[in-house]
Amino acid sequence: MAGEFPLLTSLIVVPAAGSALVAVLSKRRPDTVRVVGLLTTVVTAALSVYLLVQFKAGADGFQFTSKHLWIEEWGISWNLGVDGISLFLVVLTGLLFPLALVGADPHHDTKPYLAWLLLLEAGVMGSFLALDLFLFFIFFEIVLVPMYFLIGGWGYGERIYAATKFFLYTMAGSALMLVAIVATVFLHRNATGVLTFDVNELASTQAIGVSAARWLFLGFAVAFAVKVPLFPLHTWLPDAHTQAPTAGSVILAGVMLKLGTYGFLRFGLYLFPEASRWFRPLFLTLAVIGILYGAVVATMQKDLKRLVAYSSVAHLGFIVLGTFAFTSQGLSGGVLQMINHGVSTGALFLLVGMIYERRHTRLISELTGLQKVAPVFAGVFTLVMLSSIGVPGLNGFVGEFLVLIGSFVTARWWTVVAATGVILAALYLLWAYQRVFHGEPDEANRSFRELNWREGLVLAPFLAAIVFVGVYPKPMLDRIEPSVKQLVAHVEQHTGFVSPEPGASGEARP
Amino acid sequence: MLDLVWLIPALPLAGFLVLLVFGRRLGEPLAGWLATAMVAAAFAVTAGVFFALLGEQAEERSHVVTLFSWVPSGSLSVDLALLADPLSITMALFVTGIASLIHLFAIGYMHGDPKFPKFFLYLNLFVFSMLMLVLGNNMLVTFLGWEGVGACSYFLISFFHTRASAATAGKKAFVTNRIGDWGFMLAMFLSFQYVGSLDYARLNEAAGDLSSTTATAIALLLFVGACGKSAQLPLYVWLPDAMEGPTPVSALIHAATMVTAGVYLMTRCGPLLSASDAGTVIAIVGVATALFAATIAVAQNDIKKVLAYSTVSQLGYMFLAVGSGAYVAAIFHMVTHAFFKALMFLGSGSVIHGMHEEQDMRRMGALRKFLPVTAATFIIGWLAIAGVPPFSGFWSKDEILLYAYDKSPVLWALGLVTALLTAYYMTRQVVLVFFGEARWNEGAGHSDHSQPADQGHAEHRTPHESPWVMLLPLVVLAGLAAVGGVLNLPFSHSTEFLKSWLEPVVGEAERTLAKGTKDVKWILAGIATAAGVAGVAGGWLVYQRKKARPIEPALLADGWRYDRAIAAFMGGPGRQAFEAATWADRTIVDGAVNGTGRSVRSLGQVFRRGQTGLVRVYAAAVGLGAVALLLWFVLVRGVIG
Amino acid sequence: MTVLAQTTAGQRAPFVGPPIDWYGMSPIIVLLAGALVLMVAAALTPRWPRGLYALGTVATAGASAVLFGFQWHRVDEEGPLGLVGRALNLDHFGLFVAITICIAAALAALLLDDYLRREELDGIELYALLLCSALGGVVMAMANDLIVLFLGIEILSIALYVLAAGHARRLDSQESALKYFVLGGFASAFLLYGIALVYGATGSTNLADVRAFLRAVTLLDSGLLLAGFGLLLVGLGFKIAAAPFHVWTPDVYQGAPSPVTGFMASAAKAAAFAGLLRVFTQGFVDYQKDWKPAIFVIAVATLAISSILAAVQTNVKRMLAYSSINHAGFILVGVEAVSDRGTAGSLLYLLAYAVLVLGTFAVVGLVGRTGDSDHSLARYRGLGRERPALALAFTVLLLAQAGVPLTSGFVAKFGVITAAVDARSYAIAIVAMLAAVISAYLYLRIMVSMWLADPVAGDDARERVRIPLSAGLVVVLAVGFTLVVGIAPGWAIDWARNAVPVLAAN
Repeated sequence: MAGEFPLLTSLIVVPAAGSALVAVLSKRRPDTVRVVGLLTTVVTAALSVYLLVQFKAGADGFQFTSKHLWIEEWGISWNLGVDGISLFLVVLTGLLFPLALVGADPHHDTKPYLAWLLLLEAGVMGSFLALDLFLFFIFFEIVLVPMYFLIGGWGYGERIYAATKFFLYTMAGSALMLVAIVATVFLHRNATGVLTFDVNELASTQAIGVSAARWLFLGFAVAFAVKVPLFPLHTWLPDAHTQAPTAGSVILAGVMLKLGTYGFLRFGLYLFPEASRWFRPLFLTLAVIGILYGAVVATMQKDLKRLVAYSSVAHLGFIVLGTFAFTSQGLSGGVLQMINHGVSTGALFLLVGMIYERRHTRLISELTGLQKVAPVFAGVFTLVMLSSIGVPGLNGFVGEFLVLIGSFVTARWWTVVAATGVILAALYLLWAYQRVFHGEPDEANRSFRELNWREGLVLAPFLAAIVFVGVYPKPMLDRIEPSVKQLVAHVEQHTGFVSPEPGASGEARP
Repeated sequence: MLDLVWLIPALPLAGFLVLLVFGRRLGEPLAGWLATAMVAAAFAVTAGVFFALLGEQAEERSHVVTLFSWVPSGSLSVDLALLADPLSITMALFVTGIASLIHLFAIGYMHGDPKFPKFFLYLNLFVFSMLMLVLGNNMLVTFLGWEGVGACSYFLISFFHTRASAATAGKKAFVTNRIGDWGFMLAMFLSFQYVGSLDYARLNEAAGDLSSTTATAIALLLFVGACGKSAQLPLYVWLPDAMEGPTPVSALIHAATMVTAGVYLMTRCGPLLSASDAGTVIAIVGVATALFAATIAVAQNDIKKVLAYSTVSQLGYMFLAVGSGAYVAAIFHMVTHAFFKALMFLGSGSVIHGMHEEQDMRRMGALRKFLPVTAATFIIGWLAIAGVPPFSGFWSKDEILLYAYDKSPVLWALGLVTALLTAYYMTRQVVLVFFGEARWNEGAGHSDHSQPADQGHAEHRTPHESPWVMLLPLVVLAGLAAVGGVLNLPFSHSTEFLKSWLEPVVGEAERTLAKGTKDVKWILAGIATAAGVAGVAGGWLVYQRKKARPIEPALLADGWRYDRAIAAFMGGPGRQAFEAATWADRTIVDGAVNGTGRSVRSLGQVFRRGQTGLVRVYAAAVGLGAVALLLWFVLVRGVIG
Repeated sequence: MTVLAQTTAGQRAPFVGPPIDWYGMSPIIVLLAGALVLMVAAALTPRWPRGLYALGTVATAGASAVLFGFQWHRVDEEGPLGLVGRALNLDHFGLFVAITICIAAALAALLLDDYLRREELDGIELYALLLCSALGGVVMAMANDLIVLFLGIEILSIALYVLAAGHARRLDSQESALKYFVLGGFASAFLLYGIALVYGATGSTNLADVRAFLRAVTLLDSGLLLAGFGLLLVGLGFKIAAAPFHVWTPDVYQGAPSPVTGFMASAAKAAAFAGLLRVFTQGFVDYQKDWKPAIFVIAVATLAISSILAAVQTNVKRMLAYSSINHAGFILVGVEAVSDRGTAGSLLYLLAYAVLVLGTFAVVGLVGRTGDSDHSLARYRGLGRERPALALAFTVLLLAQAGVPLTSGFVAKFGVITAAVDARSYAIAIVAMLAAVISAYLYLRIMVSMWLADPVAGDDARERVRIPLSAGLVVVLAVGFTLVVGIAPGWAIDWARNAVPVLAAN
């Protein structure tokens, strides 16, 4: 790939450089700072869209790969690549940041806020693009710092508690992962004599013994399970979400949680197919528990933001279910659902943020009758809500349906239970909607401001995505499919697990 | 012409989009007229397609129009494809037909409502979804419409969302429907696993090869979905509450079209059903619902509630038909029911309109003088549903009872009782509303909807007849309700148009009557008619002639307390369980996390006591460490090791 | 033979001292000379301008560092060799540590200059002492003989005792010095006795000979030797501040002048670890199955206790004391691996940490403001607003100590963890990482009060934090080094990799 424009590298470098630039600019010129910050995210977004355009659909394997030796002594290299699984996560990251930037106002200390936000973007991009375990860990870990400061510096009420909890909880998870990473590399070296952190090499040789691989998988899985988050490791999420500034919540829900689910795909199934299969029942069960549990707890929340946070627990459960279904439908659905959740929940957090901006409360009990005073706002909220509920014709449904139909074939009873989550989703969201938007507005809510142009423009892309993906997901599926198929084949090859060919198993009547 | 099937749903969709953008600017009444025009146009196109189909050979009457590949993923490939065959076009015809009439009616009914354009926006969206539902070539497209109509019904039931009861009813409808959708989805999954496709054609073809367990499972799961959408036991609870919506909505969605979707789905999968053992279950649930709802209808005082329970009951009839393998009869009754029930709902709407939002029948009476047209048309509907020949209801109901008898006399007997009750409570309603003495100025009773009723109280309360836009639909529907029977007259095969028309779709699934000889048929018809007349007579004696005290036990008025029990459970144990989970999440799951942190700190506090700052203590520590090391080295390693 | 006969015949043979490789000794001599010159200057000459002393110290340390650099190349060509009759080793290992110590001394001197000015102390002799203890550290790093090691420790320590008492007017400075002195003496006794026992068991104090002996001879009763191991561990464990011999650290670190504390945490630790590594992983390598478990227990205990105790401190200097104990635990993880990879990991850690901790204490000294007495967390409140640049630098240093990627701290941690995993001691690796998480809490707390905590009444009334050139320079250098090593660690890793100890056989 020599001589070519280093697209993936620039996806990481541009925001990082922007962050540095913002950091050195004088804080006496907030407008310049804001412009530079916005420009950086826009450029990054443009690059990610360019990547999407250039991406060869229907091709499996990694594209735009760039590999440069970094730490020879340890066999570590700057190794990037994108495939159908990471492609849309990268694009989502690219597009979400500018929107979050425009959609939410930090109110104070714009300069450091932007610097952290851009650093965060660089980190997230890196995590999705890295094909080197060391490199991945670096990015996976580095994102904690900016997010910590964003929550702690620009959050609400219990922000310091939430930020600290978020930092330590996720760090604890990745601490074990670091040991697992190193162990993986060295066991691989002992078996093959090659010391490398290259994911593809490690995955292709499958040189590590069965029992060892299971331990290593567990090491990775804990880190990802915390990030996803899977029950019972989820409790940092509601606090972080609720206390984070709007942009923080949008990014957290939109892309950062996906680091976990993405990790399961890239470093769980891909590196340790056998172990993934061995632990399959466990993770299917946790996923299903998460779906129901998240929904049940969400129903009872008094804080709108907390409710959305718990709904994320449920939605991410679906993604994990699809991941461990080991069928191409399940995995494609999972990947698609990562994007959908990013869009829907991102939009939900923006809307909740706007409510807070107007009313300075997120308590459901203090909000009522908003639909009467702000019908357009309510309409937008309704659409996003329906997408989150998973109504056909909107994006949420396609992913959820693929996940369920894919997992039904290989994990029937888990799916039967998981499908009930669809009912609960309607329950908690509609109930909240009724309490907040229906009814007669009281004195405090009568002055609730209608959606203004800026907010509308920020939300428009979300709504467009929600409808487009719901009606015509084919372009996305075409790009996701090959990589997913390859991964499923990889798993089947190394585990002897066979996902039954639907229809073929239609047994004949005696 | 056949390729223009896509136009049928496209037109209302276009209407929806236009209203979405320009609705406010169009305002009243333009928005209404636009919506109506769109649906009417859709009806026209459907008619065109219908005749195009007629032109084809009977077995060629199935045409698939694939718009684009919707959800392609590996071995699963779902197209957004529309199917034009006798069944779907029949549905599309009466959906668009009745919808346009109701749109017209609504222009008058919703007059002066601040959200007039929004109402028609929802209505168009609903019609679009409903058409996707019936025209879908595979279960997923149907499901798209299925959930779409569900969402629209949610919007429309809670249209007056400032009213708490309306908001709650809407939510209840959506969630209850979702329970059914759960079954529908699982059915799709099973079909995908064993058939490898979601197309109706593939499923019905493969039905024979599936093991009866699988076939039954799929059929029953689909039926679960149908129970949700078509308000059958145990999921019917949302429909009576759905009457919170504006009356045109009740007529269109909760009487004529949406609620019949379940029956349509069952018919669509007729071959699968006939290959499964689900029929009996469906028939039993159907007849049970029919009887159950009929008993409740006897004691309702809200004019719309009576019709609502009656709808539930009639839907039960249709499922009885489906369960007994009488698919044609089911569709036949669906159509006739659509005619007379829509008619009566609109009629009740006209009454409520004329009575200034009054819905309590105890405060009506003698309205035939004030609302002559409404009364006349309503009475036709009444005769039709009561099963009085030659009105449409008679023929369709009779057909169902015949098949039920053929399946099992018990089903037939229960159906008959239902028929009798139906005639009885409908007579009761007609008498209370249109005959007897005028009671609308007494304060007796109370309205469930005090707020709008109060406005009614304010001004003078002489009822008035509705404008022509509202009466025209009534008249048209009355005509259809009267003569609808001709669709399928059981005299000879030549007169059974519907049967022969639907032949290619449900033909091989249709039950072949064992005891279906002519004489039995006429005997049953006679008994049914007798029952109908008896019911009417009974109702007339009790409520008009006051010969006997009306039997309206509170238990029935309260719907056997079924709904109340569910609410009690949801509000009680159910809610407590949810709260328990939330509590556990905070104190146990999260408590463990914070506990870890806290224990670390407290452990630190303990260690801290060691850091006294006294040199002797430190020296002791060093000494002890030294001793420990020596013990290890000298004893453990040196002597033992 | 004849020669022998003659000697027995009675003529006294002249005492032949070992040949001295002056070039090889030059760096050490430079240090010594620098110390003496400063001492004399301080005593005789009319007062020089203050800055000159610091400058002299930096120059001396720098010069000897450069000379050590020359020796490094020499070793590259000629291979390792012994100095002064194999009393000292001239090998990459020793040179690596020696250079580290020189860097530490130079940075400490810069801090000391600012410190003395701010506190209006005329403790010019402190510079000489600084160089002296650096000298002792260098000797420890290169020692090839237990006796020489002991000498090194004493030179280092005694100078440090006085340095700790550097703030003449502050009582707790004196107190800390006294504590350090008493306990240090206590520990030295153990060390000396341990040396004696080892000598008794092996008949030599020269590490090369000891190793050769232990390799050749199978001891029937190894009790004496093992007891020696134990006592040596006590002595060295005290200097590296490993549990349970760490108890002195918090008090001493808190009381001593911030620059001195920084020097202790960097140079003294490095020297002591050099001794530990050389003695155990080289001299006693064949008996590792005996002492490895002890190191394991000590490491785990150190990691656990330090990270837990750090969580409850409210004084930043105490916090950093515990954090330095925690780092010692991490370095022990590298020692426990008993492998070249492990040694390299430990060395890299020592270098990275030395710079880190000096930068950290530079900031601590500045925020301590005049008096250097109040180092409570509250003092750091609002620093992010008052001095954003300084706060940001401090944040980088703290994150590095917490082991966040793209900093030298992460590379260092990664190195030792790698070694442990490579040696299949997964348990200790996991313990270490978990300890890192717990101790991260302590760094977060400092960052919180710098950036996030809302200022309280009277905060603005406080004396402003001044950033003089010398201290500022130290901070900049430290941060720069931290980030460079963090982002491009290749070269540092290679150096450490080459710096495996070799015992000069003869």
